[in-house]
Amino acid sequence: MSNSGNDGNAGSNGGNGGGNGGNGEPIIRLRDLAKSYYRGSLEIPVLTGIDLDIPRGGYYALMGPSGSGKTTLLNLLAGIDRPTGGELEVCGYRLNDFDDNELASWRATNVGFIFQNYNLIPVLNAYENIELPLLLTELSRAQRRERVLEALQLVNLTEQMQHFPRQLSGGQEQRVAIARAIVHDPDLIVADEPTGALDAKNAEEALNLIQHLNEELGKTIVMVTHDPKAARHAHIQIHLEKGVLDRTVEVHELPPREPLLGGRVPH
Amino acid sequence: MKYASLVFRSLFRHRLRTLLTLSFLALSVFLVALMQGFLGTLDALTTSSASGSRLVVQDKASFTNVIPESYGNFLRAQPEIEAVTQFQWFGGEYKDPKNFFANFAVQKDTYLQVYREEAGVDLLPPEGVRDFLQDGNGCIVGKSLADKYGWKVGDVVPLRSPIFNLSVRLNVRAIFQGKRQSDEQALVFGLKQIQEAVPWMKGRVGSFVVRVKSSQDIPKLCERIDRNFANASPETLSMSENAFNLNMMKMFGDFGTMLHSITSAVLVAILLVTASTMAMTIRERSTQIAVLRALGFTAGKVMGLLLAEGLLLALMGGLLGLGLAVLAAKVTAGLASAILPWMADFYIPPDTLLLCLVGTLAMGLLSTFVPAYQATRKPIVEALRAL
Repeated sequence: MSNSGNDGNAGSNGGNGGGNGGNGEPIIRLRDLAKSYYRGSLEIPVLTGIDLDIPRGGYYALMGPSGSGKTTLLNLLAGIDRPTGGELEVCGYRLNDFDDNELASWRATNVGFIFQNYNLIPVLNAYENIELPLLLTELSRAQRRERVLEALQLVNLTEQMQHFPRQLSGGQEQRVAIARAIVHDPDLIVADEPTGALDAKNAEEALNLIQHLNEELGKTIVMVTHDPKAARHAHIQIHLEKGVLDRTVEVHELPPREPLLGGRVPH
Repeated sequence: MKYASLVFRSLFRHRLRTLLTLSFLALSVFLVALMQGFLGTLDALTTSSASGSRLVVQDKASFTNVIPESYGNFLRAQPEIEAVTQFQWFGGEYKDPKNFFANFAVQKDTYLQVYREEAGVDLLPPEGVRDFLQDGNGCIVGKSLADKYGWKVGDVVPLRSPIFNLSVRLNVRAIFQGKRQSDEQALVFGLKQIQEAVPWMKGRVGSFVVRVKSSQDIPKLCERIDRNFANASPETLSMSENAFNLNMMKMFGDFGTMLHSITSAVLVAILLVTASTMAMTIRERSTQIAVLRALGFTAGKVMGLLLAEGLLLALMGGLLGLGLAVLAAKVTAGLASAILPWMADFYIPPDTLLLCLVGTLAMGLLSTFVPAYQATRKPIVEALRAL
């Protein structure tokens, strides 16, 4: 891994804070994005004036100290939170205009989630956990099975497909979560501290897997991390400080995108 | 159906808690169904169509007192009346005081007119009727009762009544099939046997049962009869047979109000317990619910899944409780009919079962709705942060 990329000032990049960490048109386009929370009438700004373009196929790491707004930014990109100002365009859709159901439907098609604590459903086995996003599609049972088996193979857990989360190690759970994030072939995968609960060996495995999704399968990855080692897997590191883009660090370029799992899933 | 596994497994996430809730639900539905079935049986007893065309004339002071046989002359002279029979509770025991069943002494010929449905007169063999009427010791016995004691036509049934301090030996002359099973729990013989053997019964009867041509005539007829004997000794009290049965029931207390009150209390308990269980199980899963929503499940879809869990819980508890209630009703009918003949008809009608099931499902939905609504309206990021 190289960390000898070009340092740049995010603010000075204007509307292209993402630098050249991807190929083609931006899959994420943020303009003057803002998010505040309210405690009564008191406004607490979390993000202000975020301008950022992330190209399709990019692998971005969001970094910064606690409270810098990186998870909030990730939540906005993933469509599970709403901005209080600015423009938010992801995967070709202006999310500001969506209602809750439209956002849910958009997430089902366009986003894969990887959480720090895996967040698998404990009463479902590995196969059924991975199948969850496909339940929202029009795929038949056989078609779903085909895709789940393919995803299981990708994370090398075919033999553990009947295991419940309590029967899996942390590393295996995170691999199931990665398979769940990729099974419906979304364009964007968001990962919130994906290695935060893993030991060094499993963390490296998970990061390699995420890198594989980006490099071999062309997925756009946005990952929140505190860990500089994890961030070195990304092509661009974006540093936030007190809710604003502080600087970007270009680590290295990524290969061209390839399709995965027989293409997009009909919803 | 693709969500069935998720719903079922989520419901049994805490197996013990779900099983305890299921047991409580089943017990509650069991009680409600039994009570409603019992009320239905009582209701049928006091509103049957045959009873609706009959009235009872008794001593005004108490139905345990006797009245003069001669009162029947006035009754038979009324144009609205079709037939009049004399009626006396005998209270006879068969061999042992434990062998207790309904046995009545009646005016034989008119009894078969007044109670033609209950005695299944159309099905009785003519020679059986003839023998019953001709034999001073003849009796007819309901089929269920005869089956219970293994009696056949021609058998002799000894009965001893502590009320009259009298023993009789009755010849079974016919076995009748009534319209309802409770009709077949009785033995009927001639009142003359008591009147001839017991001095204070000479020329007296327990009550008259009168069959009228039209049930609409009953109120004015009752009023006329009681007015006629207003200054006689004893005075009479006339009422429809349904009202008479209702009064008998009231001797045991106001079952209706009591059972309806218990039913209401049980329904409230079902609601509270199910609501508490569902609220607990949903609150524990707020992060999982947020994950499902993050994956693209709409709030409505997640709400549907949670409501389906509540419904499934209620359905399983309801079916279990109703199954047990049907079994218990059968057993109770068999045991209780020995003492209370009308209990032979005790069962839980299909509409009561359906009502109980629908009520339970409604409780399941209602109790799940509020926690499910709250959980699915919570912002996703807030629920994920709560991890």
